[in-house]
Amino acid sequence: MVRQQTRINRRDFLKLMGAFAGASAVVTACAPKQVPAADPTRAAPLPVDMTGAPPDPILPSVPLGIIALNRLAYGPRPGDLEVFNALGSTDEERLRVYVAQQLAPDSIDDSEFEARYAAAGFETLHKTHEELYYDHIANNPYDSNDDTYWEWYSQPARELVDATFLRAVYSKKQLVEVLADFWHNHFNVYFWQDEGVPLLVSYHRDVLRKHMLGNFRQMLEAVATHPSMLYYLNQNNSSDAGPNENFARELFELHTLGAENYFGVRDPNTIPKDANGIAIGYVDNDVYEAARAFTGWRVDDDIYEYEDGVEKTGRFLYYKPWHDRFNKLILGRYIPADQPDMQDGRDVLDLLANHPGTARFIARKLARRFIADVPPESVVEAAASVFLEYRNEPDQLKRVVETILLSPEFKQTWGAKIKRPIEAAISMMRALNTDFTRLPGGIPWMCSMMGQALFERRPPDGYPDVKEAWANSMSLLYRWNFAVAIAENWMDDEEQKRVIRTDILGQTPAQLRTAEALADYWIPRILNRPLSGPDRQAVIAVMAQEYDPRDELPQDHIDWILPAMVEVILMSPDFQWK
Amino acid sequence: MPAPRLSRRNFLQGCSAAIAGLAGARLTNVAFAQSDSPADTLVVVFLRGGWDALNVVPPMEGDDRGYYENARPDIQITNLLRLDDRFGFHPALAPLHELYQQGNMAVIHAVGLDYDTRSHFDAMEYIELGTPGSKNAASGWITRYLQGTGTSAILPALSTSGAPSSLLNYVPTVNLNDPGDFSQWDNGLAQSQQAALRQMYNGDTLLHRAGMRTLQSLDIVHPLVEQDYKPANGASYNDDELSHQLKTVARMIKLDAGLRVATVDYGGWDTHEYENDGNGGYIAELLGNLAAGLSNFYLDLDSGYTDRLSVVVISEFGRRLVQNEDYGTDHGHGNVMFALGGGVNGGRVYGAWPGLRNDQLYDHADLAVTTDYRQVLSELLARRLGNADPAAVFPGYVPSGELGIFHAS
Repeated sequence: MVRQQTRINRRDFLKLMGAFAGASAVVTACAPKQVPAADPTRAAPLPVDMTGAPPDPILPSVPLGIIALNRLAYGPRPGDLEVFNALGSTDEERLRVYVAQQLAPDSIDDSEFEARYAAAGFETLHKTHEELYYDHIANNPYDSNDDTYWEWYSQPARELVDATFLRAVYSKKQLVEVLADFWHNHFNVYFWQDEGVPLLVSYHRDVLRKHMLGNFRQMLEAVATHPSMLYYLNQNNSSDAGPNENFARELFELHTLGAENYFGVRDPNTIPKDANGIAIGYVDNDVYEAARAFTGWRVDDDIYEYEDGVEKTGRFLYYKPWHDRFNKLILGRYIPADQPDMQDGRDVLDLLANHPGTARFIARKLARRFIADVPPESVVEAAASVFLEYRNEPDQLKRVVETILLSPEFKQTWGAKIKRPIEAAISMMRALNTDFTRLPGGIPWMCSMMGQALFERRPPDGYPDVKEAWANSMSLLYRWNFAVAIAENWMDDEEQKRVIRTDILGQTPAQLRTAEALADYWIPRILNRPLSGPDRQAVIAVMAQEYDPRDELPQDHIDWILPAMVEVILMSPDFQWK
Repeated sequence: MPAPRLSRRNFLQGCSAAIAGLAGARLTNVAFAQSDSPADTLVVVFLRGGWDALNVVPPMEGDDRGYYENARPDIQITNLLRLDDRFGFHPALAPLHELYQQGNMAVIHAVGLDYDTRSHFDAMEYIELGTPGSKNAASGWITRYLQGTGTSAILPALSTSGAPSSLLNYVPTVNLNDPGDFSQWDNGLAQSQQAALRQMYNGDTLLHRAGMRTLQSLDIVHPLVEQDYKPANGASYNDDELSHQLKTVARMIKLDAGLRVATVDYGGWDTHEYENDGNGGYIAELLGNLAAGLSNFYLDLDSGYTDRLSVVVISEFGRRLVQNEDYGTDHGHGNVMFALGGGVNGGRVYGAWPGLRNDQLYDHADLAVTTDYRQVLSELLARRLGNADPAAVFPGYVPSGELGIFHAS
């Protein structure tokens, strides 16, 4: 049978992507015309000797509040460190109270964010999964040859991007935002995956955010049954006649056991078993058997038209005619034939969610996010134990996160990570008290120039979480350019419908008149700590220009130079560590 | 006298005049050192996702054509462009077929990673680190090649998409998509800011070194930022992700700043479905872009640069012989590579062909690997890149003989 497709044609799709990429092109208008700066006389052929890769030196430690606000939040806003320091009389106590607050997000007063969210006037984010499907996919009122069709189709996901930045900058529930980002990368779904772009909203909200402080096994099933994932990893087409292994493979490799527990293309009988008779890792055969177990897990979307028992609701559908009913052998566990509906797949999810290899993989990945690119094994083991001990509890993941954040390793590590591009961008807006309600398109565009367009990682592995991926010239240059764009207020949309404002002068005490005084105000205001002597002098030199550092500066000089000085602090290495 | 602060509106209006005027006198070319080596510039095009070798270079005839057609009733490729008695190109590769016939391009079949994995991420990492089976290497294979040569070029390495593992920890890499985008946004004080950044990024951490390299890169790319680019020989780059990158590479080669290696990524090859439907499917579109991009790149550089150019096209693995139910193919093993350049003994298909009968397949499912990808790269290193010791680049690997893909430079 040839299946008749009504899916969106890929060419139309690329057109759509282009349309919205263009929408933010205004901010690029000036960029190519910029003088690339730097005096070429200084550029005399430079011998490049920096080829080696010595281990990074240990950075000086910083107060625990700075560690906490940079690693379990998107960097401090003005005053955040003072609030943290008032939480207790010792660092230990302050961190404990802060983590407890952040892990109970419903108890946090988030009125500033909520007011902004209400003012933003999002039109689609309140819709249920079924409404998103009905309104934006099944019954798109526009002509598919018109841009309006594609605007309507992608509006929910575009609003999700805006809302995610808004939350990250203004919500006081910062740990929730960091975790939502972590889990979206872990269970990555690409924004523009063809069939279900509007459904990204319900995936992010009803799957990831709903479960990320809950139970991993429940989260896993919510992921495995959400149409966004079913479409993205081709599970929607996987039938007994031709199982598609894509989802099953990434379920093992990226979602649960991880490549660290992959034994490759081998005879499954050669893999050692644990005390319960479960294989300690997986081989290709397990992937194929699991693919069979998930056959018939699909979307109720009627894309093949007139199949019995298939409607057009956009919900998950267990479609028995496609299920491979015969027995399977997965990780050494025998799965009998003719089990009840969905039981084969659920058995696979049980096996994976309860596996010690999964516990270590998830624990390591969380510790990588919260502590260091290469986290100490001690904290990985501690978190993995909690993961397994509480595997049947409704707050399993909350306990795992808590274990990592309250570990001695968390407190003792600084600068073993740099902010990823999106984190750098958000932390700049937080540090400067930048004001926006609806995000101008230039902000996500700048993140894409840094290599990290939000929700736009195409492969299923999520964006890398190690500094090697981000410490490169293009990414750093646009990180610096972002500082300039924000501080100089260059990011409004062209029609000025969406504006973003940073008032640096207004945040500077009027009595500060010298380069030294201005630098010594803004350095700790942004970094919450001093800079080294020579770096401080470099900041002062930018502010002073032709004046002496202690000269009283004319107002027009301050007006003109001060944002540039602030930008340099945001561009500094010290602002990038976390 | 300090200038007044520019509003954004003023800035947009004035950016071509006022700002350029501020520093117009500086728009002169940097004096570059000449290339310090007779070695070729290597361009590695990595096709992410695992391209389907058996639909890129399918068998033309004989038993293997029969096995191929039986395994792929809906997605088999016909109207092949003949390479030799055994193989042909997918018709979308017509522009490359010309290069092949002219002797500037070779095909290496049944080549790949001699390690048991069907994971994209493992396979890419093993290939790019050059250490199959281990992901612990602190450097990529290109890093080790370049470190071994001790180049003093201003611009030894360029990556046009992200930070590939093949260049892991090679800090001199310049990373940029398009020279036109590679400039510091200037409020009129960028010079002053960069002086401060030179102080702040003077340090030993990876971040410090990357920051310093960024500052140097601004100087290197500086002459190109405002120039329009006119490709040579009437070459015309398409408006797609690959062609943009190749155009950037061509421009950087023509800077004569000693570019030794450029890495280019082109993704989208994970064709689990609709690989080849009535309109040609995903793979025809991808191959069309690849062929157009590479042939125009070659034409553009056939203006005095191709004698010192080696291009390698590689992907992490090939795909299953048997099509799946979704008119696609799942992850496989053996693959095909392309080599282009003045030093290629082209017009030939290299590599021992293992056959497609079921017992000849890897794991009874995929094209087998008879040529380790490191064999190809080792020959390239020895013949074209001035590196007589491939073992330092690929630890523990000993090439077996020589296929003769490249002639000595």
